[in-house]
Amino acid sequence: MKFDHPILLRIRAVVLTLVFLLILGLLTRPLEAPAWKRVQAGQPELNLVGMEGALGQGIIVGMLGGFRSIMADFLWLQTNVVWQDRERAKLDSMVRLVTSIDPRPVFFWINSARMIAYDVPHWRIQEEGGYQTVPEWRQAAIDREQAEQAFAHIRRALEFHPDNPRLYLEIGQIYLNRLDDPAKAAPWFLRASEQPGSPYFAARIYAELLRRQGKNAQAYDFLKGLFLRLPDDEPYAQKGIILERIRELERTLEITPAEAFNPSRNT
Amino acid sequence: MSFLSPSRIRLIAANTFLEAVRQKFFNSLLFITLALVASSTFFQQFDFGTSELKFIADFGFGALFFFGSILAITVTTQLFFNEIENRTALTMLAKPVHKFDFLAGKLLGVQLLMLAFVCLLSFVLAGILYWRETVLMSQFGPETFSEGRILRYGDILIFGFLQWLKFGLLGAITLFVASFSNTNIYTIIVSFCILVVCQLQYIARDAYGDMEQGVGRLLVQGLGLIFPNFQLFNVGDQLLFTSQEALPAATILRITLYACVYIAGFLLLAHLSFRRREI
Repeated sequence: MKFDHPILLRIRAVVLTLVFLLILGLLTRPLEAPAWKRVQAGQPELNLVGMEGALGQGIIVGMLGGFRSIMADFLWLQTNVVWQDRERAKLDSMVRLVTSIDPRPVFFWINSARMIAYDVPHWRIQEEGGYQTVPEWRQAAIDREQAEQAFAHIRRALEFHPDNPRLYLEIGQIYLNRLDDPAKAAPWFLRASEQPGSPYFAARIYAELLRRQGKNAQAYDFLKGLFLRLPDDEPYAQKGIILERIRELERTLEITPAEAFNPSRNT
Repeated sequence: MSFLSPSRIRLIAANTFLEAVRQKFFNSLLFITLALVASSTFFQQFDFGTSELKFIADFGFGALFFFGSILAITVTTQLFFNEIENRTALTMLAKPVHKFDFLAGKLLGVQLLMLAFVCLLSFVLAGILYWRETVLMSQFGPETFSEGRILRYGDILIFGFLQWLKFGLLGAITLFVASFSNTNIYTIIVSFCILVVCQLQYIARDAYGDMEQGVGRLLVQGLGLIFPNFQLFNVGDQLLFTSQEALPAATILRITLYACVYIAGFLLLAHLSFRRREI
């Protein structure tokens, strides 16, 4: 059998090239592995599952080009057009696409969660006949379904931004404003208040939600601790309002003047 | 005839560079890229999430990689096939010029061109960032910029350098493809396909990394070894801002060595394939 047939020679060349590249890959692995570990740690993860529907639309080409931010921005504009046209199914895939391409801006996560939790239930109720026709239990069920979707969406956001207080606040606000459930909203406001750079109002809302649930003693203790922790020279800390609420709670809890909170004594 | 003659390689590289600079394609692409980077402040109007400086930096880095890759593949292909089609390669190789010198000279010439491209773009990007940062500093005052400037401008050069290495590797891969292909268009398409695979192979590696031992895992591991990992050069997210930890010198050195080894490897493959080729 002759081994100098052109096809055999070509196959041999391909095999030898692959073997050469394999060896090169093995040789460079000690260089690549530690460098890749360092580089990968600083890169936002690319979730291709969320991009399935977009393949073939030139998105991958843009992504390869590094235009991640601008690509996501233009797709966000498109998402708003879809939202304006109330295309529910398309909105879902667009939201996933934008946040998969660029998960870094919290803006995308929060605003898309609001669309899912606040706008889509309204559309669905309208589609089923409107607020007068759809029974309340059904409206509540739709609200819950959409809220759950929004929570899942924000939980994905928390994988990228675990310390961002705005995401915890958003979950709390959906519980509070859409599901009217202060008991479930409260812990999320507390978690938001514990994150670095959290707005001062998160802790105040937590205390207010405790009060609304009738947990006055717990709210009183929390506000006392909060008052002592807050800085004096920061207007947004609103220490005056906190002291007012402490006094109101003292009246509700019938705390004697001798036992009342005294900032100068308690510091 | 000696193998690997620096003077011959330098001569071929200088000619290749001059020829490339005169090409309309290079000048048009350079103009488009510069205009795009310079207009990044306009595109900023479409930005929803990131800070202004981060957006401009991302945009500039994106333009550098995107247009640089197009340039590296297209110019390498054109310059290689021009020599073959115009029969100048015949004249050159009839003289005491080794085929390896010819390939190395071509690659070096393209790399000089890419160096000019990277330097120009990096300086324009640095200039725009410096201007916008100065404007922002005067707008928001010393409270926001209490520790001075928030950008490390040297990082633009680091990014440019790493991209330049990647373009070198891409050029070497393109030369390897060109060494056995017969047409321009075939070389360009195959090189772009390889670019996509190299750019995305890390996803397959990560996704199949947790798989049980099997054919699928072996295939993906093989793929990861055969194709260089281009994502390694994508360090834009970790550079520039003083709030971020600077990229360690050891990492930069490793990436540099990685690129050099692969460039040499693909150049050698190109030579092995090209030396038997009838011109």
